[in-house]
Parts: sequence; C-alpha cells; structure tokens
Amino acid sequence: MKILVCLKQILDPDIPPRDFAIDRDNRRAARGSANLVTNIFCENALETALQLREKAEGEITALTFGPSSAEDVLRKALALKADHACLVEDEAGEYRNSATTALVLAAAIRKLGEFDLIMVGREAGDWGAGQTGGLLAEQLGLPSVSFVDSIEATADGVTLRRQTELGWEKVEATTPLVVTITNNDENVPRIPKTRDIMMSARKPVTNWKLSDIDVTCDDITAAGTALEVVDLAIPEKTTECEFIEGDSIDEKIDAFAKRLASIVQSA
Amino acid sequence: MMLLAALNPAEATREVMWNISHSWVMYMLLVPTMIIAGRGVYRQVQKWRAGQPAARFDRPAERIKRVVKHVLLQQATLRDRFAGVYHFLLFWGMITLTIATTVVLIHHDFSIDIMRGRFYLYFQSLFVDVLGVLAMTGVAMLAVRRWIVRPKKLVYTDESTWLLVLLFAILGTGFLLEGWRIAATNDPWGNWSPAGIVISKASLAVASVETLTTLHWLVWWFHMALVFGLIAWAPYTKLLHVLTAPLNIYTANLDAGGGTLKQIDFESAQSFGINSLEQFTWKDLLDLDACTECGRCTSVCPANTVGKQLSPRDIILDLQSLLDRNDLASRNSKSDGEQPDEYKPAFPVIGQTDNLSSDALFECTTCAACVEICPVSIEQLPKIVDMRRFQVMERAEFPQQMQDAISSLEGRGHPFKGTQLSRMDWAEGMDVPTIEDVDAPEVLLWVGCGGALVDRNQRSTRALANLLKQAGVNFAILGREETCTGDPARRIGNEFLFETLATQNIETLKTHNIKSVLTSCPHCFNTFRNEYPKLGGDFEVLHHTTYLAKLIGEGRLTLDAKAAERIAFHDPCYLGRHNGITDAPRKILKQLTGSAPAEMEKHGRQSFCCGGGGGLSFVDEPPDKRVNQERARQALDTNAETLAVGCPFCTTMMEDGINAVKGDREMVVKDIAEVMWETVSRE
Amino acid sequence: MKNIIVCLMPGATFDKPTAGLLAAARGLQPQLTIIVPGIVSDDTTAALAGQADNVICASDDGLDEYQPEIVLGVLQSVCSDLNPDIVLLSNDTYSQEIAPRLAGRLGGVSAGDAQSLSLDGDNLRITRSVYGGKAIATVELRATPAVVWVRAHSFAGLDAKDAPGTIEQRSITVEGDAAKHLGATNIVERHAESSGEVRLEDAAVIVSGGRGLGGPEPFEQLKDLADAMKAQQAASRAACDAGWVPPHWQVGQTGKKVAPELYVAIAISGASQHLMGIADAKVITAINTDADAPIFKHCQFGLVEDYKAVVGPLTEKLKTLLS
Repeated sequence: MKILVCLKQILDPDIPPRDFAIDRDNRRAARGSANLVTNIFCENALETALQLREKAEGEITALTFGPSSAEDVLRKALALKADHACLVEDEAGEYRNSATTALVLAAAIRKLGEFDLIMVGREAGDWGAGQTGGLLAEQLGLPSVSFVDSIEATADGVTLRRQTELGWEKVEATTPLVVTITNNDENVPRIPKTRDIMMSARKPVTNWKLSDIDVTCDDITAAGTALEVVDLAIPEKTTECEFIEGDSIDEKIDAFAKRLASIVQSA
Repeated sequence: MMLLAALNPAEATREVMWNISHSWVMYMLLVPTMIIAGRGVYRQVQKWRAGQPAARFDRPAERIKRVVKHVLLQQATLRDRFAGVYHFLLFWGMITLTIATTVVLIHHDFSIDIMRGRFYLYFQSLFVDVLGVLAMTGVAMLAVRRWIVRPKKLVYTDESTWLLVLLFAILGTGFLLEGWRIAATNDPWGNWSPAGIVISKASLAVASVETLTTLHWLVWWFHMALVFGLIAWAPYTKLLHVLTAPLNIYTANLDAGGGTLKQIDFESAQSFGINSLEQFTWKDLLDLDACTECGRCTSVCPANTVGKQLSPRDIILDLQSLLDRNDLASRNSKSDGEQPDEYKPAFPVIGQTDNLSSDALFECTTCAACVEICPVSIEQLPKIVDMRRFQVMERAEFPQQMQDAISSLEGRGHPFKGTQLSRMDWAEGMDVPTIEDVDAPEVLLWVGCGGALVDRNQRSTRALANLLKQAGVNFAILGREETCTGDPARRIGNEFLFETLATQNIETLKTHNIKSVLTSCPHCFNTFRNEYPKLGGDFEVLHHTTYLAKLIGEGRLTLDAKAAERIAFHDPCYLGRHNGITDAPRKILKQLTGSAPAEMEKHGRQSFCCGGGGGLSFVDEPPDKRVNQERARQALDTNAETLAVGCPFCTTMMEDGINAVKGDREMVVKDIAEVMWETVSRE
Repeated sequence: MKNIIVCLMPGATFDKPTAGLLAAARGLQPQLTIIVPGIVSDDTTAALAGQADNVICASDDGLDEYQPEIVLGVLQSVCSDLNPDIVLLSNDTYSQEIAPRLAGRLGGVSAGDAQSLSLDGDNLRITRSVYGGKAIATVELRATPAVVWVRAHSFAGLDAKDAPGTIEQRSITVEGDAAKHLGATNIVERHAESSGEVRLEDAAVIVSGGRGLGGPEPFEQLKDLADAMKAQQAASRAACDAGWVPPHWQVGQTGKKVAPELYVAIAISGASQHLMGIADAKVITAINTDADAPIFKHCQFGLVEDYKAVVGPLTEKLKTLLS
C-alpha cells in the first residue's frame, strides 16, 4: 500500500497565553519565542500510517508545504521511518489558507505518483480551519472520509473507524482515498529513537519550488484571495470570579451547592 | 618437674596435630579444594573482565580509608543494628579463627615455633576462644533473624540455609575438638580456653578419655571436611562477597552520592544505553557478585515501599543470575563494520524477568536511597538509568507522560507540557534584573523550570528574589534564555537530549561570563555541580539554602520575629543524599524558630523521596501507589504545622500528598525561602 | 439580496442546533432556502417551513441514512440548480465532512466553525476562534458560493415567521459528475457509545473532569454528581488522551464545543484549547485547589478546594436540594 501523509508545521499551540502576540500587519500570530512543531493531528496521521504499514506492506511518503523551516517536520517523519519526504517550499512565506494549501498539495501529489491512501490531519492547531482534507479530495477527484481514527487494509481497499458525535462508525472504502485523521488513544504519536534522529539528518528530502510542480503565483493568488483574514485580535476576557467563601469547608460546599441548584432548576 | 616446666607461662603451648596421623591426606584434599574454589573465583573474575573499562583505582588513599571504614569497622553494615552486630561478630570471629589456623600452619608446616608462651595463651587460646564464642553468638542471632523474625527484605533460599548450617557445624565441631583435646590430654593451659574447658569438663562427666580420643579423631576429619567443603563451595554462593565486598568497596564510586551516570560517546557507541550484560562495566558486573542479598536497598526504595514492582535488590540478583547463566567470554565478537539497523544484544537483560521489566525500571525516582544504604557500595541507580537509556533511545518505549516531558524538552526547553505560564511570569511587577541589565552580577539566579513554570512555585521563587533584593545581592536572571538543565532528560534516560541541553546552557553561561550560579532547585544544582564539569562547564554552584544561610551569617539578612509555628524539614534527595547538604536548611530553620526542626524518622541522607525525581513528577502514579502520599504520612506524623522543603518538585509533590491524606490534620508546605521571607526584617 | 441555502443532514429534526443554524442564517437576511436530504417527518418539515421561504426535501433512492458520497451528490445536484451565494451547514461531524467538498464541487470557498456571520457589502464575513482560542479572526469569503459550517449552538433559535414557506418534495437522481464516487465509501456500522445519552452539544448542564483527577476512578464519583444535577459528563483533552474516558467526551478546540446553561469544571486548569470549547456556556464554575488556575478567569463563581473533599458532600447536598 502506498501511503501519503501530509504534514503541517505550525506555531507551538501550547505557547502560554502571555507569550502569544499578533503580527497585526500580516494578520497572523507573531513568531516571538515560540518554537515550531508538527501539527498534532498530522502526527496522529503519521502514526496511523506507521501502524498501517506495520500490519500491511507499504511505503510512506511525507509531504509538506511551507517555508524552508518546515523541513524539520519531514526530518522528524524520516526519524520515525517514513520512506520518502518531500517539501514544497513556499518561497513567499505569506499567509496560506486551506484553499491554497490544497491546491499545492494536490499538484505535488500528482507529480509524486499514485497513492492508495492520502492522509491529512483533521485540522491544524493554528488556524483550525479543518478544510484542507475535503478540498484536497476534490482537487484530486477522490472520495474521502473525515475524522478517521484507525485504518485496516482489506483485500480490495480499507476498513476505517471514524468518530462521530456520540460514538463511532465503521466505514468500508475502496482506494485511492483521502482521509482526515483525528486522535484516539491508539494513534498517540510515537517518538523517534535517538539513533534514527541522528540518521534522519542524512536522508534525502525532495525539495520542490512551486514552479517544479507547475503551480503559478496567479493560481496561488486566486485561491488565496478568495478567503481573506481581515482582522485578527486577542479577545479580552473580563469575567471576575467570585470565590465561594465560608468558615469551614462544609459551609463553602453548602453555599456552592445552593448556587448550582438554583442554576440547574432554572435551566 | 614436667609439671613445673609446663606451668611456666613462657613455655605454654600445646601439641599441634595431636591425635592425628596421616595428615598428608589433608594436604592431598587441600589441592582439589583449592582448585574448585580457585576455579569458582577465576570464573567470576573472567566474567567481570568481559565488562567495559572503568577507572576505579585512582585516589588510593581515599579508597583505603573507605575500606577501613566499611570493611574493617563495618560502618555501613552497622547502620542496621541487629544485622550489623551479628555481621560484625561473624566477620571478626571468622577472621580471628582464620588467623589462628594460619598460626597453626606456620607453627606446624613451616616449623616456626610461634605457638608458645604468652602469645599462645592470650591470643591463640583466650582471644580466639572468645571470638569463636562471639562468632557462634552471631550465628545464633543470624538464625533467629532468618528463621524466627523472617524480615521481608531477605531472600530465603536453600543455599543460605545450608550456609548457615555449615557455619554452625564448623564452629560447633571446632569447639568440640578443642574441648575433647583439653580433656584427653589433660591440658594444663586448658583454663585459657573458657569454652574449651567447659566442654572438656562436661564431656568427661559422660565419657571416658578413650572415647573422647576416638571421637576427637572422627570429628577432626569431619571438621576438616566441612571447612574444605565450605572453601570449595563459597565462591559459588553469596559467600563470594567475602572477596567481592572489600574489592567492591575499594573500587566504589567516589564522586556523586547517588553513583555517577556514564557519559555516552554517540559517535562510536554500539548502542545507546545497555541491554546486554557485557555492555556493563567490569565494576557493574563486580557489583552483582558483591551483593549479599541483605535487602536493605529494596526496603528503603520508595517505589517498592508503596507496592510497586521496582526492587533494586532483585534487579541486582536477577542480573547476577543472568551473569551466572551466561558465558560472557563466548560472545561472538565479529563485526562486519556495518551498523546493523537495530542493535541485537548478545546477553539481553531488559524484560528477562519481572524485576527487569521496563515498567519496573521506569518506576525509579532516582532518589539513590538504595546506593546510599548498600553496605558493599553497589550502585543500583546507574544500572537502572543505563537500561532506561536503552528503552528511551534505542526502543523509544517508555511511559507516555515521560515521552510528553521529553518532547516538550526538545521543543520548548522545559518538561511541563501544556503549562500556561511563561518563564518571566513569576517576576511580573517585581523589577527583577535580567542578565542584560546587570554587568557583573555576584550570582546568576537560575530559576529553573520548576520554579518558573508551575503556579505553586511562583510564590517560592518570588520569596527568594525578594530575599536577595533585601540582602542587597547584585543578582540577575537569564530570563527567556534559560532552559532546562537537562536533569529530567538524563534521569529518564535521554542522554542525547541531556547533552544537547547541557552544552547549550554551558555556552549561554559562558557567553554571559557567569562565574557563580544560585538555584533553588536541587536537580539543577546537582546537574551544574556534578555533571556540567564533565562537559566543560565549571561554575561555582550554590543552592539557595546554603546561600541564604550564608547571607544570615554575614548579617546581610536579619531575622525579625521568631516564627511561632512548629516546622519539619523534608530533605530533597538531590540536596541531601546526592550532595550531602543537610545542615544549611536546618541552621536556617533553627534561627527562625529558635529550636531545631521536627524530624521525620527518615531524614538527612536517609531521607525518603517525595516521589518526584527521575521524571516521575510528570507521571500519574496509580492512586493506591503514590510515593508522595507515603512521605506525606511520615511528615504528618511529626505534628508540625509547616513542612519546609528546598525543592520546587518536592513542594508540589508534598503539597499534593498532604492534601490527599491529611484528613482533618493541617499542614502547609513552604519552601525555605517562603518561610524566611515571612520573618525576615524588611526595609 | 443573497441566495442563501441551509443544508441539513439526513435524519434532521428541528432541534436546538438546527434552530441555531437557521437563526444564524436569518440573521443575515430573512430569505432563505433549506435543503433536507433523505426522509424527513412532516412535523420537522412544518417546523422548518416556519423558518424559511422554501424547504426542499431532496430524496434519492439510496438515501435513508447518511452516506458521504450520496449526500454530497444530492446536495451538489440541488445546489447546482439553485446557484446559491451562501451555503450554511451545522457543526455535526457529517456537515463538517461535507462542507469543504461541497465548496470544492461548486467551485466556491469554504470555512468552518463560524461564531458570527455578517454581510460586508457583497461578501460574507465570519468570525472564528483561532490559535487554540488565543485569538479571534474575522474572515471574508470572496468567492461564490461561500460554504460555511456554523457553530450552531452559539445562536439562539428564532420564532417561526408569520407566513410559513413552501415545501417541495424533490426526487433526485445523482448522476454525472456528482455521481463519480458513489459506492466508493460505505458506512456499514454505526455505534453510539451509550444509547439514550443526550449529545454533549445539547446538554443543559455539564460536569467535566480534567487531568487533576489523576485517573479513571474519580470519574465514577463525578457520575453521581452529574446524576444528581441531571447533567452530562465531559472531560478535558488530558483526561481523554490518558484513556480515562472515551474520546467523544472531550470538550475543547478539538473536541466538542458545548453551550450549556451550566458548566462545572472539576480539576481542570483551563488551557486555552479547553476554554475554546466552553466559550458559549452561560455559566462556568470550577472546583480547583489552585486559585490562580486560568479556568477561574472564565468562571462566574468558583470553589478553591480539593475536589476529593468536595464531590461527595456536594452530591448529597444537591440530591436534597434538587429532589
């Protein structure tokens, strides 16, 4: 089975609120002291792919679209034993939305060859749009299933488990197929072995410019301007918490219970 | 005439080999005995030699001192009163009897007439006899402990039963022989052997001289057979420690208290960490054979105390039995020069027994109580870390929450995944100078991740900064440039990450020309003090307890009111045990309250871990097996109102533990700096 | 006037999220069309007609339950006919799955998790939380159609209009381009973790537990508390990731976004990602040992105590108070 996993490098979503600042001119988060990480759902996707490869023969290609720093996410994927890695470098480094990303990823995938399974994270920890998977499927003209948390290869395709509001569903699907991956307790990303981290530095990474995959600046602009961030602001939060007071813990619990009960009764 | 001559003490002696003919048979038997024993020793020596090199013969003066303290004076052994006393009796009893036998040998076989006169009477008769009785007392005490008291920490094997029986039989037959000889020869000097004379008189009351002579002959050969049997067998039993223990004590680690973790050469190492017997150093392998199965390490192990799998004794014993079963010399050492994709251990250890399971290894808080208590200087902790390293770096299989901490260290330079705080939050509104603002600070205040990024500890860090300001100390902090020292990475087993972080930090400190580092975190302190020098980072390192005590001593801080509360002190492992600092915090507390702090039974170098070391503070322990709750119970038992600590990890672990088990008792946890800031005179 | 279409999913009823979604649409302009694929009850149709100008019940032979490719095909077919400017969907997993693909097929642009909608001249503007709740973005969609899934619970339902809209039954045969992946995927089993459970999104009261609970056992205790308050149980990501409770309990950026009258956070410190999931709760309260925990900055009132000492007596008191 040939598997392609799309990875996105994002600003560390665990950055403390106080360290979070906005680059108002570019309407995006300021880099500040935060580090760059692989988006968690992309890591879940890679983990799901690695587990699938352990059970069924296959090859994993890691693909990312981003600035040159995004090579780090590919190195980490290689350290986890992805077979191939490809970076499409975003020379301009401007804000990219799901539409432009899907366009570029689709062009790169067409050039990389045929894949049975194309896996993306359900959403990214920065913009959280959750659109890329679906858009990519349409760009590639493939069917897709979202919120998948485990995959098994079958004789003529794959069986998927995907999460829904109240539980889960089993989906049978033919390949090629695009899936968006969500997390569960089985696809918690593994961490690389130290030796593999050292080795990954020496593995080849295919490095393409947009021109290498026949995407023009006009294509990018067209897709990019269709969806524009016009404002980005840090919300002010002003709620003043009233701490329940009391001479003893019993008194406090009593007062707390009464507050709760009055809200529950009116709800 | 004969009688008079015989009664001249200067001429006192006895006939050696009385009643024994064909003594050449004994010498014939000695040959195979020594061959078997020699083979046993040689076999083990060969196994140790298969280990990796370790420099453990430097500083001979210090080493000899250790041997005097812990072998001859049995200091470490005597820390366990009952077992220590009987071991002391047996040790000196058996040594004396061996010397006495050697005296006989010199006298008889080399025909040097030394068994005569006062030496014969005072030493060879009286002293040896008394020491023999004491050794016998030791055996009795041993039997009481092993068969009646039966403490859980001991290992109950047939081997140890037979060894005990054998010791008893050898000593017992020795006394019978002495008594019967005195009886049969009507030895005029018999009164110099008190035990002998009692047996002599008692035997004559029930048997004739002829019978005793015959019995003497029979028992002599039986005694000899037992002794030879023991000599031959000993190297194959835990009695091997008679040789290995002194050797192990001589070659002990002289550096850090908890044992020194090895450095790894990442360019050439066959594997990162250890999963095969021959990857241990010869000293590690010698450790295994030095173990006397006394079980003290396991009985003080915090993880074992709360019912976890981890048992340092059984790690050592299981490794020892693997060493026993494998012929390390047979290892196929051919190498085709190419690095295999995955390292294949020749004599695998991890997971070979339950005690060597990965789960057990990662229960270790690296508190080093095991290393501290071991009477024969075994280093359990470095071996545990060696095996953890393999799990972390070669297999990437270790507890998820430790993985999270490692990932966070890699990306963010701190182990607290998901913290809502940033490095400088604690200093908000305090005007704390950063290194950019201060030209040549007296000390650099190394805040540490625990002091900066955990809500609770911000109070402690603020108190410390306030104290420094109050004392007029010209200090600075690194601010955002500070990252983890690498301690959690190293204890969890990611040596690669540790080296990366350490090298970075050393570089940063050198760039800012820092000479002196002050920290409130014993983990940072230990890393700076004991581990950075090996990576080229030599700084003066101060723990805040020592530094604050010094500021009081110099009059730069004056304590205002006497704190009224009763305070107990919990020694952080990395302060007390790993670095021997136990007085400074007590001195401060004494000045604060006017009296010495309340002490838990386990304190100072024998302190009991809060449960937070070794990366365990990032792990959720099973609710019924929490080390911090065990320690909290010990703390609550002091009935103190305040538990003072000197470590950000201890602070949160102890606070959580106390809140969980206190019931209706009240006890607050405060860092020493907090306690001080409450009572210091302020401008 | 814009051509606004609201797309529902098979099995739709006029429930709280549907009402919220329609309110969001009607906030833009009163005129709108609703497409309901599959079989739908007369009551629901009537209720929907009270909210819109047109309700199109689009049926297809193979469509009684949700199947992604069929629903997508049906919606594509109807939308192609109607040529909408704006297509709005709800925030259930099916709608989230369909939205970008429908945009792709209709040549439009898509966005998700809209918390407010407005028209700026010709274009639709939405606001949404980004960067794990640390920032709010206003995004303008400049291509047609603009396909957006809406955080439906954030909107309060509106009363029916004076004159109900028309109801049209349309039988669709998915064909041509819209039919290209029919049969490629097939949902063969559907599992609800516990039947009869109210969806977290619809719960009026939620009792949620976090990492501070330290293990799965305390959630049993919280169940008694939840039962006493007729509340649903939820959890933070840390608790779900640790495997203490099932993943669908998770509230937060990547879990459920809930809008209860009362949200009780127990041993949850309040990472911004978690707060993102409870931004629409009317009243938030917390029990936590740490008065400085970020969660309290979002609480109307709170209790600084160890949950262990609180939950038992609190449950008993609430049982009496609410009986």
